[in-house]
Amino acid sequence: MIPQYYEFSCQVKIVSGLKALQNLPYEMDLLGAHRALIVTDQGVAGAGLIKLVESVFTGSNCEIGAIFDQTPPDSSSKVVNQVAKLFSNERCDCFVAVGGGSSIDTAKCANMVVTEGTDDLLKFQGAERLKKPMKPFIAIPTTAGTGSEVTMVAVIYDDVNHLKLAFTSIRLYPNVAILDPKMTLTMPPKITAATAMDALTHAVEGYYCLQKNPVSDAFAIGGIKLILENVEQCIKNGQDENARLALANGALLAGISFANSMVGIVHSIAHACGGVARVPHGLANSILLPWGMENNLEKAGAVIAELAPYLGASTKGSSLDQAKACIQAVRDLQKRLKDLSGLPTTLSEAGVKKEQFEAIAKAAVNDGSATYNPEDVTIEVVMGILNKAF
Amino acid sequence: MTAQKSPISYQVKKTVVETSLLALAAAFEIVSRHAPEMKAELADWEDGRIFSLGVLPNGPAISLQKKGSEIHYLGKGYHNPKLKILFKNLDAAILPFTGQIGSHIAFVQRRAILHGNVGEAMQISRAMAIVQSYLMPGLVFSKIFKRPPKLTPAQLFLKARVMATIGPAIFMKIWK
Repeated sequence: MIPQYYEFSCQVKIVSGLKALQNLPYEMDLLGAHRALIVTDQGVAGAGLIKLVESVFTGSNCEIGAIFDQTPPDSSSKVVNQVAKLFSNERCDCFVAVGGGSSIDTAKCANMVVTEGTDDLLKFQGAERLKKPMKPFIAIPTTAGTGSEVTMVAVIYDDVNHLKLAFTSIRLYPNVAILDPKMTLTMPPKITAATAMDALTHAVEGYYCLQKNPVSDAFAIGGIKLILENVEQCIKNGQDENARLALANGALLAGISFANSMVGIVHSIAHACGGVARVPHGLANSILLPWGMENNLEKAGAVIAELAPYLGASTKGSSLDQAKACIQAVRDLQKRLKDLSGLPTTLSEAGVKKEQFEAIAKAAVNDGSATYNPEDVTIEVVMGILNKAF
Repeated sequence: MTAQKSPISYQVKKTVVETSLLALAAAFEIVSRHAPEMKAELADWEDGRIFSLGVLPNGPAISLQKKGSEIHYLGKGYHNPKLKILFKNLDAAILPFTGQIGSHIAFVQRRAILHGNVGEAMQISRAMAIVQSYLMPGLVFSKIFKRPPKLTPAQLFLKARVMATIGPAIFMKIWK
């Protein structure tokens, strides 16, 4: 069914393939930039991935102005301001984020600070508050999960006011996303599994949540297919560049989908589990996905059922039967990934304590994703899911 | 030749939205004074929070403030709000204000945008849903709520009170 009204955008040039990283200086040049600030984290730098990035500048007319490799897993306004200061002090003219969601979001926010000439991000919270053209920005993901390389959203923590700040603007899209399998080869099996489940959650929730539309649906289905076809191979043989590239593309498609269709209760609770119990986002999504789908059976069962052929679920019986088969297919996948990588399948295994449930539920109902969930997200509903997923 | 919007239809829409905003403001005041579920929702809000609802680019707007345990109408326009809920145009605003779609659907369909903190917007959204349950006829509940509320006798009594007093309350706010 076509929605009464929808909007869709994705303004990111996608450069994907073996040795795609070699095109970084060329893409910078096209954007009129020649001196990059690399934003990354210690894990990425420690894995030797920044050396790979440095190597592609040899013989080009572009250079690295500075490298910021201190991005924490949950970045903050303090870090963003440090990055923005480094950008200005080192006279850089473009941002290159190399990493997962945190590095990419940090670079997006630092770009806001530099462009708007402010260190007060509070006043840009919300949607479409950025009016000035931003500095060139290239994202090179090193995980296949967050999709942040193709979204217009950034989330960081405000150290001063102790708030999670969310920004949405078409100006936050990176100009270019470079997917090179070399950048994901070093991901350990458990992180490969968790980030792939993160991407699968983006695609599945994006497909059944309220802002779905025909264009985002197409991306979601494409994403699901590539993720399911390649995630287990990537875990079994992390050096399989073709599987890694396909999985990265699956995560990218899922990212384009959810950036437009948004996500629902799985993300609401996962964000809250991250904030309260420090559960990594991909892991929380992985655990909660079947429970979130189950929560929406009454309101969106027929839509979930449409995913049966793509999730490898039975297409027999009523739409409710097929929707339930989809949930079972996700549970079967969880079990296989647990056997292959040790990825937890319950909140207790992920370190969540029962006494944290109330705080998680309170945070979940205040999470923006709740708006897009077909079923109402209340404290009681979230508590029910937490108890089941424990 | 480019077609131009009829000034009359624009004025009609503007009047509908203006009146709806004033009705919402009046209902917010009454419901926050008397409805226990609204008081429970407001308990977590910091005192003095100002929020506005308005229509872009220069359409009607109102500002409301939490004072103590109640919501008070501050007047038309933007009174230095911490958070704004902005409809992209009059047509986008008319839909939720006339019960054709829920306010959450206005966000879902990107007819409305938020300037401010998402967590606080979620609180305001829940409070607006409570107000709408007293302001809107039960007939449209299935269109505007994910789970239409079933009002208790006490809530129905309060709804009758809102209905009885909303006209004069709007009238009093016209010049504020």
